[in-house]
Amino acid sequence: MAHDTAEMVLTCPVATGRTTQRDGAPGHSRRTLLRAGALVALGGAAVPLTGCDLFDRGDDKPPPPDSLEPLAAESAALEGRYRAAIAATPALADRLGAIADTHRAHAEELRKVIGRPAPSGSPAATPTAAAGDPDELLAELRQAEQQGRENAAKACAAAPAERAALLGSIAAARATHLEALK
Amino acid sequence: MIPRTAPAGPAQALADALAAEYAAIWAYGVIGVHLADAARSAARAAEAAHRSRRDALILQLSESGGQVPADRAGYALPYPVTDRASALKLAVEIEERTAGHWRATLPHTTGTDRNRALTALTDCAVRATRWRRTAGVTPITVPFPGRPD
Repeated sequence: MAHDTAEMVLTCPVATGRTTQRDGAPGHSRRTLLRAGALVALGGAAVPLTGCDLFDRGDDKPPPPDSLEPLAAESAALEGRYRAAIAATPALADRLGAIADTHRAHAEELRKVIGRPAPSGSPAATPTAAAGDPDELLAELRQAEQQGRENAAKACAAAPAERAALLGSIAAARATHLEALK
Repeated sequence: MIPRTAPAGPAQALADALAAEYAAIWAYGVIGVHLADAARSAARAAEAAHRSRRDALILQLSESGGQVPADRAGYALPYPVTDRASALKLAVEIEERTAGHWRATLPHTTGTDRNRALTALTDCAVRATRWRRTAGVTPITVPFPGRPD
């Protein structure tokens, strides 16, 4: 099949161009016929291209990323933020340590559900902690948790039944972090 | 106190959540009398929140033609509630338990119903966190609110 269509692609458009420019042939019915030929050729051209594409990507094509990847990456990034905050302001360790542990537990649990290791080259957001100003630090963490809570709630709403409970717990946990940061 | 067996279907999951809300409302009556000031107000607010969840569940279950379980006259307490400490302890457990029942409804719901269940789970988890803070329990958060151990 690929052979047949390829032949049409090569012959028809060339013939059309020659006819209209060189001959200037006014034959209406002939022009219409040629146009129809060009259309067929264009339509045919798409087929072998698509065919090649499918064939080339074949077996080593990676599976599409799991829809939970962003949430898992966010859990890892949130843990990083808290660790950085604790490093910058050790006095907050008691308050923030358990929350950092929770984000790690979420990342691990999401990884289990996804069933694949984290994709390489997906860097966790570089945590920046405003050293020395606990109020500013907590405000930043609250903002991140608020965003994280919304993301987890959206993921829960869209999830298949078997993932809904875990995502619900993650959304609820992030809401309790907001409370703990007050 | 968190449910360990998954409900069989949506109607059962919602009926279980309703039974948990009945028990929570009853428990807050016991809890409130041992608390004072801000804690007592928080108990009243929590009780009101559970009442409105109860009412919404009764409506939801009856509209969907499901069986609406009846409230009981009283509930057995897991331990004597005689002072502020035991009242706060029970408050934490009640919220975690109710959170567990709402969590169990999530796989059985979709769309608006699931969002409502998630809001209920979240509210319970946040109240449990506040009660832990009031009781001086640390950490005040748990990694997976409502999840059975």
